[in-house]
Order: sequence, then structure tokens, then C-alpha cells
Amino acid sequence: MPRAMGRWLILGVAASCLLGVSNSRARAGSTAPNDVKPSEENLAIVVNTSNPVDNLSMSELRKVFLGERRHWPNGRRITLVMMEPGQPERKTLIREVCQMNESDFSQHFLHGVFTGEVFVSPKTLASPVGVRKFIFNVPGAIGYVRVTDLDSSVKVLRVDGHLPDDKEYSLHIPPAPAQDQ
Amino acid sequence: MSEGNNNAAPAPVQPRDQVLRVFSRYPSALLLLVVFSVEVGVGMFVIRDVRTASVEAQQMYARSVLGLRQIGELQYQAQETRRSTLYALTTNDSNLQVEYADQSREADRRVTEGIAEYLKQARMPNEIEVGRGLQRDWSAYLKVRDEVLASILEGSIKEAVDMDLNGGVPSFERVRQDLEDVKRLYDQQASDQLARVGASSRRSVVRLVGVVCFTLIFATFSVWAIQRSRMLGAVQFARLQMEFVTSISHELRTPLAVIRSAAENIADGVVGGKEQLARYGSVIRNQSRQITDLVNEILLFASTRNRNNRYTMRLLQVSEIIDVAMENTAELVREAGFMVERHVEPDLPCIIGDLSALSHCLQNLIGNAVKYSAQTRWICIRALLDEARIPGNREIQIAVQDRGIGVDKSELPHLFEPFYRSPAVASAQIHGTGLGLPLARSIAEAMNGRLTVESKLGVGSTFTLHLPAAKQKQPLAAAGARGRDAVAQK
Repeated sequence: MPRAMGRWLILGVAASCLLGVSNSRARAGSTAPNDVKPSEENLAIVVNTSNPVDNLSMSELRKVFLGERRHWPNGRRITLVMMEPGQPERKTLIREVCQMNESDFSQHFLHGVFTGEVFVSPKTLASPVGVRKFIFNVPGAIGYVRVTDLDSSVKVLRVDGHLPDDKEYSLHIPPAPAQDQ
Repeated sequence: MSEGNNNAAPAPVQPRDQVLRVFSRYPSALLLLVVFSVEVGVGMFVIRDVRTASVEAQQMYARSVLGLRQIGELQYQAQETRRSTLYALTTNDSNLQVEYADQSREADRRVTEGIAEYLKQARMPNEIEVGRGLQRDWSAYLKVRDEVLASILEGSIKEAVDMDLNGGVPSFERVRQDLEDVKRLYDQQASDQLARVGASSRRSVVRLVGVVCFTLIFATFSVWAIQRSRMLGAVQFARLQMEFVTSISHELRTPLAVIRSAAENIADGVVGGKEQLARYGSVIRNQSRQITDLVNEILLFASTRNRNNRYTMRLLQVSEIIDVAMENTAELVREAGFMVERHVEPDLPCIIGDLSALSHCLQNLIGNAVKYSAQTRWICIRALLDEARIPGNREIQIAVQDRGIGVDKSELPHLFEPFYRSPAVASAQIHGTGLGLPLARSIAEAMNGRLTVESKLGVGSTFTLHLPAAKQKQPLAAAGARGRDAVAQK
């Protein structure tokens, strides 16, 4: 009887040692930077729910966001809603839709307003919630938010016939660079 | 049915007096019951009125005060809706403008809910009409407000101000007017409710006064009835006492006259010879014994009225009591030529009582049976155990049955009243004091028992002595008269 108990004790100690080793390896693996790639998030173009437009091509979208188009088909005045400079959503829109950088974008509007080529000056809001509420209150407003910030108070536009959930959708917010510990 | 001679026929008893006599047995308890019942009735009446008034007051509070508060809240929130919209004009910061728009929408949501709540509670047609008007005007204002907000957020301030001045101000004025109408309606309803509560309160006071007056009159009548019944009782008792005195005087006078006559004859030397003298002596002895028996009965009755009277209580066999009673009445029965049947169940349990008192009680019943049996000279004495009562409370019944003249049904309630004598018995010149049966009942009750009677006029009577059976076993090994036996005496 004591001999059998001794065998079980040795087996238990050996098993716990093996488990401890494998756990420490797993912890070391999880800190490796390139093992898991963070997923990208799509940027949704949103308008007021009363807006009759459902789809815009990328070129139409570019005209709208560069202030080159003044009214919607129903006659409502277009109001651009942008987030504050530096936000990934704003960067994505300027880069992917306007094909500019922040400086060019600002310059475009300064010049356009001065020369009269641009009819709409964008409104700047601090948060996605503010963007949503602004669009909800203004029938002619258009803006953008992350897919995860969407709710039923606004309408999502198709871009080139694709919704943000579609594979062919072209507006992606690149993942934020990982910060060193 | 009782002993003694009474020439004076009792006065006929009026039905009203009979009712009052019954009422007079427990006057205080009855008065208390009546007053309690009336007080309960009055209390319930008053409580009902107070509760009605309270409910009306609560309704008035709920509908008027709470309604006014609700309207005040609606007015505030409507102002807040407009105020927040106008605040958005004061800044160029889109974030702040969105915040003000949010506040305005939150306030407008509360107003919309408040109007819906008001319409839900509205019952009167004018309330519903005013509520719907308010709802319509508020929706119209909100349309303008949405356009104004959109213009402000778009940055078209001049356009927003123009829109507000041309559309917002008039539509909001209509909303304000509607709210004033609702408020005025509440004021009017509150006034109506107040008038109703006042009228209800006055009605309650009138009812209360009426009920109190009724209670007072009822209580006065009750006291009068009790006093009257007591007076009637006292008069009846005095009358019975007078009848008793007359009867006793007569009962005493007859044997005394006989004794006196016999004594005078002896004294005057009219009586000659030893044999005649012995006959006179026997007459004097019999008459004096009759007087002694009469006086003893009166004294015994008086002693049973005294609550301090002490009996010698012990375990008794039923046959023992019957034996003593029959022995003491043997001479009477024999002289009257009666046949007595005796049926005693075997193995009867004992009872606890006073042998002398119980045998006296039975003697009275046997004596009455002899006295009122007329031509049918038959008496039956039965003793049995009644198991049909509450378990554990067994009862011995000793019944004395005769086939005599019987008692009329209307007289049965008075049979055990002291000094009561049936008019039929009195007119038939059957002597008695009216104390025999009351005395028998007093003894039965003193032994924790009771005495009952069943009788039919012209058929006969059965008087039953009910006594609780003792739980103890028999004190003696065997009684002399066990089993069902029949003894005939002639």
C-alpha cells in the first residue's frame, strides 16, 4: 500500500513539472509581436435616414467630401461632417477617398473657399457619437464612422455598390501601430 | 302543576308583557348587546362616510394637484425644448450645438410622453379635445424646431432665426396656449371636486346626526323597556308572594282548625273512652305532621335560594337515591293506591351528589305524580345512561312518569317559577304551595344537573332529572337493586 502511494506521488510531481514548462512556453509565445495580426476595421459612410441616396461611387464620394458638390438630388444642402485631425477615421477618408494628406486637404478647402470653387465647409466633431447625432439632426449631412460605432440613427451608404460588410468594400482603417512596452 | 290551594285566579298575562318578561331575564346583557349592535352599525356607517370622503379627497388631490404638477412639468419641459434649441444659436462649436440639440430632443421626448400620459388619463370630452389639440400643436412645433436645429447645425444662422421667428414662435405660442387651457381645465375640475367633497361632508354630518339621534331614541326606549319589564316582574313577584301567603295561610288554617277542634273536644270532655281518645290523638298527629311538612318545605326552598347552602357531596348509586325516595313516599303511594313501576338499567355509573337533597327532589316528583294522576293510579320511575351527549360527558337520567292530567303547553315555561300555580289546578281545589318544582329544579342545578319536563294535557307528564355521570368507579361492590327490575306496590 505505501509503495503504491509513493508511485502515485512521483507521477503527480512529474506531471505538474511538465505542465509548468508548457505554460511558461505559451506565455513566452504570446508576447511575440508577429504571431497574431490585429484585424482591420472598415469605415462606413453615413447620411441622414431621410436622405434618398443609397449608393455613391468613389468618384462621387470624392466630389462630395472635397466640397465640389453642393446639393443632394432632393435639393437638400450637403453638410460635411469630419472628425478632428489626427483621428484614424479622418486619415483613412482623406487618404482613400480624397487621395490627399491632411495638409493638402486643409489647403484645398482654404483655397476653394477663397476662390469660390468649394461650396461647403466641413463641420468638425470630436467623437463618433457627435458625428452620429449631427447627421441625425441635419437631413443633408454626410459623415463617416467606424463600423463598430454604427447604430440605427443614421443610414449607411454603399460605396461602388458595396456595404462595409462586403469583402470588396474598399475603405479600411489600418490598424494602429503596436506600442513598445 | 304544584301543591297548595289558591282561590285567587292569576291575572291573564298580556302577550306584550310576556315578551317583556322574557326580555327582563337578561336585561343588562340585552341592553349591552343592543347598544353594541347599534354602535357597530353607527361606526360602520361613519367609517363608510369617512372613507368615501377620504377617497373623494384623494381623487381630488390626484386629479387636481398632481395634474397641475404634471402640467407645470410639461410647461417647463416645453420651455426647455425651445431654450436648448435657441442655445445652439449662441455658439459656432458643432460639438456644443449637437449637445444642445440633444438636450432639446430629450426635453421634447418628455413633453411628448407627458401629453400621451395626459391623454391616457383624460375621461371627459373637453379634456380629450384639449389634449389632442396640444398633441397636434406640439407636433407642428417640433417640425419647425427640427428645421431650425438643422439650419443651426448646418451653419445657416440667419435662415434658422428667420425660420424660428416665422414658424417657431407662433407654433410655440399655440402650444403655450394649449397648456394654459389644460391648466384652466384642471383648476375648474378642482373647484368642482372641492364642491363635491364639501357636499359629501355635509351629507355625512347630516347622516351622523340622524344616526346618533336614532341611537339615542333607541337606547332611551331600551332603558324604558327594561325598567318596565323589571317593574312588571316586581309586580308579578309581589302578586305571587301575596298568593303564596294566602295559600299558606289557608294550608295552615285547615289543619290548625282540625287540631283546635279536636283539642277542644278533648278539653270539654266530649271525647269518651280510650278508643275515641286514640282516634283524636291520631288526627292531631297527622294534622301537625302536615303542618310540619309544609313548614319544612318552605324552609328548604328558602335554604336553596341561599347560595351558601352546603350539600354533603359524595359518590352515589342511582338505585340508592331511588330506594330512599321510594321508601320515604311508600306510605303516600300505598294510601293513594298507586302502582309504581321501577326500571333501572344495570351497571349504571355513579353520580356525585347529596343523597338527602336528591331523594327529596325525587320525592317531590313522585308526590306531584300522585297528586295529579287523577283516576289513573300508575307511576313509572326509570333510570338510564345517556351516551348520546358530548363524549366524556355522560349523563344519568331519572324520569318520573305519570298518566295524569298533564300540563297545557302554554304553562310549561312557568312551571318552575316559584309560587306559580296553574289556574286549572287552583280551580280544581288541588292544594299546593307552588314551591315543589322550583325546589326540585334548584336541587338539580345545585348537583350540576337539570330538570326537564315533557307533558301533554290529558295524557300525562314526564319529569326527568339529568345528572352528570361520575368518572369514578362505584364505591360499593354491588347495589341492592341491580338490573332491570320491576317493583309493583299496591
